[in-house]
Amino acid sequence: MRPENYQAVKLGDSNEYEIFIGPNHPGIEGNYAFRLMLDGDIVVSGKADAGYLHRGFEKLMEGRLWIQNLAIVPRICVPDPAPMEVAYSMAVEEIMGIEAPIRAQWIRTMQLELSRVAAHLFTFGGHAATTGMYTPMFWGVADRDLVLDLFEDFTGGRVYSIYNIPGGVRRELPPEFLQKLSNLLDYLESRQNDYDNLLFTNQVFVERAKGCGALTQSQALELSVTGPNLRACGLAYDVRRDDPYLVYDELEFDIPRQKHGDAYSRILVRRDELFQSIRILRQIIERLPSIKGKIRTPIPNPLSWNVRKGEAYARVESSKGELAYYVVSDGGDKPYRVHVRGPSSMHAVQTLEFLAKGARLEDVAQIMFSLDACPPEVDR
Amino acid sequence: MKKELKIKQKERTNPLAHVFDDFIRFCQSKSLFMLHYCTGCGAIELPPAMTSRFDMERLGIQPMVTPRQADILLITGYVSIKTLKRVILTYEQMQSPKYVIGICSCTVNGGMYWQSYATAKKLNEYMPVDVYIAGCMPRPEAVMAGLQRLKDNIRNDKKEHKGSAWKDYFKRYDYYLGNQQALFGEDWQTPTDIIAEAKLYGLETEETYGKHTKLLEKHQTPLLPQEMRIK
Repeated sequence: MRPENYQAVKLGDSNEYEIFIGPNHPGIEGNYAFRLMLDGDIVVSGKADAGYLHRGFEKLMEGRLWIQNLAIVPRICVPDPAPMEVAYSMAVEEIMGIEAPIRAQWIRTMQLELSRVAAHLFTFGGHAATTGMYTPMFWGVADRDLVLDLFEDFTGGRVYSIYNIPGGVRRELPPEFLQKLSNLLDYLESRQNDYDNLLFTNQVFVERAKGCGALTQSQALELSVTGPNLRACGLAYDVRRDDPYLVYDELEFDIPRQKHGDAYSRILVRRDELFQSIRILRQIIERLPSIKGKIRTPIPNPLSWNVRKGEAYARVESSKGELAYYVVSDGGDKPYRVHVRGPSSMHAVQTLEFLAKGARLEDVAQIMFSLDACPPEVDR
Repeated sequence: MKKELKIKQKERTNPLAHVFDDFIRFCQSKSLFMLHYCTGCGAIELPPAMTSRFDMERLGIQPMVTPRQADILLITGYVSIKTLKRVILTYEQMQSPKYVIGICSCTVNGGMYWQSYATAKKLNEYMPVDVYIAGCMPRPEAVMAGLQRLKDNIRNDKKEHKGSAWKDYFKRYDYYLGNQQALFGEDWQTPTDIIAEAKLYGLETEETYGKHTKLLEKHQTPLLPQEMRIK
């Protein structure tokens, strides 16, 4: 709908009225909008209004070289960009029939887990802010910045690292990087009590979040919910364990889950996942020095690089859910077709519309943030 | 019942007028409320810039939730055409003096999405931009430096005339409207009457009017405030 044509609708004798949240609204996640039909402060129905961030990604990628696409794939999901690069590189590697060296796979795993830690820290703050608590936001963003510093150290970029390349990773780790990582993990673990007291057991938050936006397992599966949101319903499904990629089959970790499927369960799952990621990173710190070798399998000159005919589907577990790339090559220097299966489009559109129904107006923002959808990935 | 408002600018005879002006500019530059329209990727570097590590508030800059009370409009990243309409609506709602900062390369020239069918490439074709912060994406330090530059521009506006880009929107409204119409179609209109505002501020020039504003008059359906709200 064009904004100049938008008029609030008041229906005849009914008490129902319509309001529009977004796209520039403090209670909305990113550039996204939501139209609500309300009766009093109970939501009768909600309709998602996406498309504010549409760039035509899948079309753009068909017009660029294989190597140029690496620069734009992380832009699909801004808070958690690393899984995008890795999934795209894995898909291209599968078509080419090459495999990244074992050391590169360990480094990639480390990058994915660090990115998950950063994304979860960011989410805590956003979710808490919708219940009126702003301190966790300050803490989460400040702690996330320490992770970003490490990213800058070993990839050169704070947010978008573009560190992967089909065939491996670009650079060797800087000296003493693992020590710095270990120090950061110590620090994050020491913050556990503070976060628990401030947020996860704080009655201000718990009372608001418990029972808010609850999903059952069957509903979640019908709505294609994946990732932490699905595990909050009690179903321990994780691509890292069920379809292992990189070196996840050599690592020990649990799949945290909760029973109730509400906003509180979802944030608890993320909290537990954060500490599982720390556990994985500790194992990587232990194992990585003993794994020697190359970090890159050579690829042809990237500017005249024809990937052979074929197709591949590579999936990874991002911090939002299951993320997959379907790449088709016709033997040319550009992809024939790329499809991105992002978790957020399922969470932010159909699941949000489903959960908003019957919720109260003040809970809509919390439901949206608890699903942890990423609007740039919805529109692509 | 329509009453013509007649506003006459008083002649400034006070010899200390320029001192007052300087003082007002000084105060303006020290207290800026910023509306961050999270149009794209750049929004992710704003929370670090706003919170404890880089702390924008020590520059006197704070986020504000409504456009009508904000001084700065931050455009953080690429603007798709659907977003650009909302950005223009937001910009026109803001009270003067107002400043626009384009963050990320995408607002400068399309950046990474130069060949995309869905994004508007140059932001300054649609609204006057005070400061551009290039980079993909600029670091929080760069954002802070850009804001500092804006503050200096406002402070030194009398000498350098860099801090009054917002006047350009009224002075050359026809140019901006033409670009907007080229993108959104001939019947594009916003609820804000820019020409009346230009008259009010005394900023109308020859370039305020043109063939595009004529087109606007042709298509414009006047909306009373009451009609805009409830039907």
